[in-house]
Amino acid sequence: MQGNTAVFFNKLASGKLWLQYCESCHKYIFYPRVFCPNCLKPDLQWKETSGQGKVYSFTIIHYSNLPEKSEQVPYAYAIVELAEGIRLAANITDCHPKDISIGMSVELTVKKYHYSYLHYFRPATMNRKC
Amino acid sequence: MQDAVITGIGELKPAIVNSGQTELDLLMQAAAIATSDAGLSKKEVDGLIVTPPSNDNYFMWPSQAAEYLQIKPELLDMVELGGASAVGSIIRAALFIQAGLCNHCLCLSGGIWDRRVFNTLEGKKKVMSQAEIDFELPFGPMGFNSAYALITRRHMHKYGTTAEQLAKIVADQRFNAMTNQNALFNDKLLSIEDILASPVIADPIHRLEIVVPCSGAAAVVVSRRDQAKNSCVRAINILGMGEAYTHNSIVYAADILESPVKKAAGKAFAMANLKPEDINLVSLYDCYPITVLITLEDAGFCAKGEGGEFVMNTDLTYGGKLPCNTHGGQLCCGQPSFAGGMSHVIEAVRQLRNEAGERQVQKNKVAFINGNGGVMSVESCLILGGD
Ligand SMILES: [Zn+2]
Repeated sequence: MQGNTAVFFNKLASGKLWLQYCESCHKYIFYPRVFCPNCLKPDLQWKETSGQGKVYSFTIIHYSNLPEKSEQVPYAYAIVELAEGIRLAANITDCHPKDISIGMSVELTVKKYHYSYLHYFRPATMNRKC
Repeated sequence: MQDAVITGIGELKPAIVNSGQTELDLLMQAAAIATSDAGLSKKEVDGLIVTPPSNDNYFMWPSQAAEYLQIKPELLDMVELGGASAVGSIIRAALFIQAGLCNHCLCLSGGIWDRRVFNTLEGKKKVMSQAEIDFELPFGPMGFNSAYALITRRHMHKYGTTAEQLAKIVADQRFNAMTNQNALFNDKLLSIEDILASPVIADPIHRLEIVVPCSGAAAVVVSRRDQAKNSCVRAINILGMGEAYTHNSIVYAADILESPVKKAAGKAFAMANLKPEDINLVSLYDCYPITVLITLEDAGFCAKGEGGEFVMNTDLTYGGKLPCNTHGGQLCCGQPSFAGGMSHVIEAVRQLRNEAGERQVQKNKVAFINGNGGVMSVESCLILGGD
């Protein structure tokens, strides 16, 4: 992992999710890039985000053959839409898959992953069920 | 595309377990059937478009194929649009012919796909972008199953589409497949209940709603109209074509329920000066039932969001109101690499030529065909017409 991708994961060590923000068109972008894909200008700055979002869509994986994931079935694989308007893939953790619905509020929870960190989401504090 | 017509088709019976043949072995056999069907000698083939190999090296693949076949094309190309590659290659062949660059362009597709390979970490990585490997793979996506499950779930949420409506597509296609000797899955009819009783793999997608990778090959010859041989059974007109792209990974689609079919089909209909209600039969890319349902919506066969109700109330079998995937589709015939997309073109040509036998559609003047690449990422559409 190198370049802007490495920066993204290193910044997760802060417990916050940082995204590149284009000073030119005033928009967050994801995934990390060398230039802004909206205006092709190099005016990108890393900015901390709120860590708040909503489930845009999700699936419960019942059969997984990925080395670590096969022991975690069933697990939720989702697209999360951040308050900042960016969508990204993540697992919804710290709840029963049955309690997940489209539109539910979720919040960032950074966990250790191999030698680095990974951004997961869990039900937002106000409506967490477990 | 006034000057370009489809003159030849050739398809091998797909196989779950490849019988030790190489990809080029498979391509050669499909090429032999299609050129012979077009009434051509090998020497007359002066254009070659291939889709990528699945196991062999990509490097100079069109040239590798030409060497194996011992043909001397004057224009060679490889089209890589995932499942849209096959339809995409027909579009490009028609353009080459229209531009006067060749007379007979062989579009060749096929390969050896094995579910066991896809299900390994390395197999998964082979079809992923670096961004998917970095930002999706750690969360355990199950390849295309989970991606199409995300679309299906949201369609159900937003429009109230039901599991039964989606399963109806599979049930109708299985009915069609019962007449197809070459289908992999034609042993028994499937009811909606049978389909929904199969295990949930990536909720809400069931096992019987997932295409099965296999091995095979398919070929189509596109010719200049004035060069078509009298021995060619019946030249099929290319009335309209269009292609469009919206995203690579479904995670970054602006709206996961709006596919590029809308633009691609819109272009094809405009070129053909036709409307969806003028279409007699459709041959729609069907890796999962949601793909068919969204294609029907976005191509304009029903209103957006009404796909579920539409498929439930429309007989999609070969005797029905809107015959769809009369060969059984890839859900019944398997997905022999990129040749899976070619099967939809070939079945439409069979129907337009009155060669579909037991499953022949009676009203068969105009067909709509689409190829879908990635996760409704790239779409290629064709409108074909008989006499
Ligand atoms: Zn910008």
